[in-house]
Amino acid sequence: MAGIYVHIPFCKQKCTYCDFTSFPNRLGFAEAYMACVYKEAEMRGKELQKETFETVYIGGGTPSVIDPNYIYGLMKQLARTFHLSKDPEVTIEMNPGTVDAQKIAIYKRAGINRFSVGLQTANDALLADLGRIHTRADFEACARLLRGENFSADVMLGLKGQTKEDVRDTIALAADCGASHISMYALTPEDGTPIYTDYLNGELPDGDEVAELYEYGKTLLNERGFLRYEVSNFTKAGYGSRHNLNYWKRGQYIGLGVSASSFFYGKRFTNTFDLDEYIKCILSGHFPVVESEEVGEADAKFEFVMLALRTVFGISAKEYKKQFGSDWKEDFRTAYEKTRAYLDESGDVTRIKDEYLYVQNRILTEYMT
Amino acid sequence: MQRPNPKLRNFCIIAHIDHGKSTIADRLIELTGQVSKRDMEEQLLDSMDIERERGITIKLAPVRMYYTALDGEEYELNLIDTPGHVDFTYEVSRSLAACEGAVLVVDATQGVEAQTLANVYLALDNNLEIVPVVNKIDLASARIEETKREIEDVIGLDAEDAPCVSAKEGLNIRDILEAVVKRVPPPEGDGDAPLRALIFDSYYDNYKGVILFVRIKDGAVKVGDTVKTFRSEKTYEVTEVGAFAPALQPKERLAAGEVGYIAASIKSIEDVAVGDTVTDAISPAEEPLPGYKQVRPVVFCGIYPLDGSKFLDLREAILKLKLNDASLVFEPDNSVALGFGFRCGFLGLLHMEIVQERIEREFNLDIITTAPSVSYLVHKTNGEEFFVDNPSHLPAPSDIDYMEEPIVRAEIFTPPDYLGAIMDLCRDKRGVFKDMSYLDARRVKLDYRLPLNEIVYDFFDELKSRTKGYASFDYELAGYERSKLVKLDILLNGEICDALSVIVHEDHAYSRGRTLCENLKDAIPRQLFEVPVQAAVGGKIIARETVKAVRKDVLAKCYGGDITRKKKLLEKQKEGKKRMRKVGSVEVPSEVFMQILKTNKDK
Repeated sequence: MAGIYVHIPFCKQKCTYCDFTSFPNRLGFAEAYMACVYKEAEMRGKELQKETFETVYIGGGTPSVIDPNYIYGLMKQLARTFHLSKDPEVTIEMNPGTVDAQKIAIYKRAGINRFSVGLQTANDALLADLGRIHTRADFEACARLLRGENFSADVMLGLKGQTKEDVRDTIALAADCGASHISMYALTPEDGTPIYTDYLNGELPDGDEVAELYEYGKTLLNERGFLRYEVSNFTKAGYGSRHNLNYWKRGQYIGLGVSASSFFYGKRFTNTFDLDEYIKCILSGHFPVVESEEVGEADAKFEFVMLALRTVFGISAKEYKKQFGSDWKEDFRTAYEKTRAYLDESGDVTRIKDEYLYVQNRILTEYMT
Repeated sequence: MQRPNPKLRNFCIIAHIDHGKSTIADRLIELTGQVSKRDMEEQLLDSMDIERERGITIKLAPVRMYYTALDGEEYELNLIDTPGHVDFTYEVSRSLAACEGAVLVVDATQGVEAQTLANVYLALDNNLEIVPVVNKIDLASARIEETKREIEDVIGLDAEDAPCVSAKEGLNIRDILEAVVKRVPPPEGDGDAPLRALIFDSYYDNYKGVILFVRIKDGAVKVGDTVKTFRSEKTYEVTEVGAFAPALQPKERLAAGEVGYIAASIKSIEDVAVGDTVTDAISPAEEPLPGYKQVRPVVFCGIYPLDGSKFLDLREAILKLKLNDASLVFEPDNSVALGFGFRCGFLGLLHMEIVQERIEREFNLDIITTAPSVSYLVHKTNGEEFFVDNPSHLPAPSDIDYMEEPIVRAEIFTPPDYLGAIMDLCRDKRGVFKDMSYLDARRVKLDYRLPLNEIVYDFFDELKSRTKGYASFDYELAGYERSKLVKLDILLNGEICDALSVIVHEDHAYSRGRTLCENLKDAIPRQLFEVPVQAAVGGKIIARETVKAVRKDVLAKCYGGDITRKKKLLEKQKEGKKRMRKVGSVEVPSEVFMQILKTNKDK
């Protein structure tokens, strides 16, 4: 199993918390950029002829901000240059303020079968504060267009002045509008983003308050039939994101576009974060890779544990043995003994106890060498 | 009788911190061409990293210069740089004993300050000729005339002809040298008498053995001489003598009056003590030089390696530091919480901090330092009596008949404006007022009896902050007094952490216990479980705080599979953990053990 990630680094307006590679004023570059992505797909496709890809994820930025025909062209190109499986999961991220019926029709024709909608919150005042370009009404309209489709909604916790009522309202909105999957994740104030100032001034909810909101949200989601399968991801039965599961299983994936990360044949590598440099590299026939890391065995083992423990599926001893030829509890004896009190074990599988999933970092650091 | 070289001048520079002492020393060296301007590094004499970074001088550093004065004669000048902080008064007095004169630097923008006074009195005690210098005259806020008047009024020195300079700009530096040549007397002593050389510092050189910094009072010393010290029977053959240029510069001999170094393949650090006198082994002098007042450590604390396996490295480091820090005392010790380490004695809290920093930097060792303590006399019910300076070595309360604590006779010198503040402070610290006398219109002397235990916590800091640094403080031990003392234990998650125990007066136990718990609650990071932090006296809990369990410690979702970044974030978190010590099941940051001393806010 392998996946393809495509990064579309354009948006209408930068959100106040955003530190991803996205350029609000450079939509004019979309044509040139997409041409380069097509070219990169061709270059990578040649290297990966033997591989079958089961998922495609088009993320951003805001992929829905560019002309949908580029997305159509992209999918055509991926199908031409890579060997896609018969029924691949193809996801696109969308901002509810940038969609219309025609766009979605083109997406569907392109083969997209999963939509990830950035709702964040149902509260218009909070949306405005985050610098989001959409409103609650936009989301409702977007959801109407997606009726009958497999779509996920992103929900954010830890917003300035956010209350439990906001969380309740947001989850209710997403669920009532037909979302099959909800990602509920905490805002991370990154240095250099506008919201960092709020964080420094203590205006954002602290860790305890966020944990409280998370617990509350989790309960509501469970009540509505959304079950947690990873720290931030909840799904109705059968709608888990195969693309993301692949990350957590340490599966292989190729990233296309500016700032995209890849993991293939034991190597992790990342493309340049600079749009111009990306275009120049591709036009001159070079891969725009700026960071590359050969993952050694010990590191690979740690990655396996770190990623598996993010999910409720946990570590499968059998799977570990299959990959590394050793017993994971032996490999991590000291750490395992130290953290046993926080683990649930049943047969082949070891997972972090439900109540410790949200404080897993200090459990994971024990496993680092 | 052979007189020392009349063209020789030995002097030091004294000043309040930041008044530009080291910069002046740099300029003097530069002007006399001792070091080419190109090679000049800022603050040449402050060779330790810590000194440059903090901009302070800790170790005294000597340097020899040649200067052709306006009278056409060439003079040999020996400059000994001195530290400015009160903890290092001992180092200052050592340099002073090797000199005949002192250049007193006063900042023209600040005027006379506390440490200026303290050092002037030290210099006067040593009968030094004082040459006042007004520095920083290039600054817009310089008040040259006012500063001169202050020197005259407050210190009582004639400042009429005091050189007015800017060390930063290199202005009028020559005036300082002229004043030194004219006013500082040449050394006295008898070149024909048997050798008597005062050791004022030393350090260990991997090739030459111990290098002794000496001032020759009588006689002379040259390569091949056999020498000994008064305190030890061992004799050594001199392998090298020389001057400070400021690097070691060998010469044929050191004569009476001169400052220089002696190397004699001395391997054992314990055999040579600063303050001792070197003499000829074959025809020794009858009497040693007066030496220095023996300093007594004031503050004791435990020093442990962060990584328990580095105990021997720590031992090596402390032994080497001891060599050029005569005031450091130590003995091996071990703690349930922290393993093997040393119990060390220091002159004060800054001294403790500096030693800690030097161990970490110069020897690249991570260490944990415990809260400071003093030495108590314990009388057991079975009649035994002994000293305890480590709270965890105190016997069970039922075995203790009574305890005595060290009391000091303290003299506090202050301008009269701060009398009230000082009396309040002394009352807070269980002080007993003895006497008060006006030395002159600007200076009052207060006599107090104070428990040493109260002083080591934050007395210096408090005194300085309550008197804006004007009061100076000196004390001597005045024996032991019976006192109601108790051991205050700290329990983390129900287990006593011996490294956090402190001995306090019974009346302070409750309030200090409460403050300790509050501070520990803030200092200990939240763990996966709730950690009760309790203070107990004799098994009875007197205060409690709780470190709540952590509720959120997780990385946000994996954007585009950037797992490398995720690993880096976890690695960073792991790094932070390395500074932690596990006490029972609780992770405690290593600084906590020392910071517990910064808790004396109880009223």
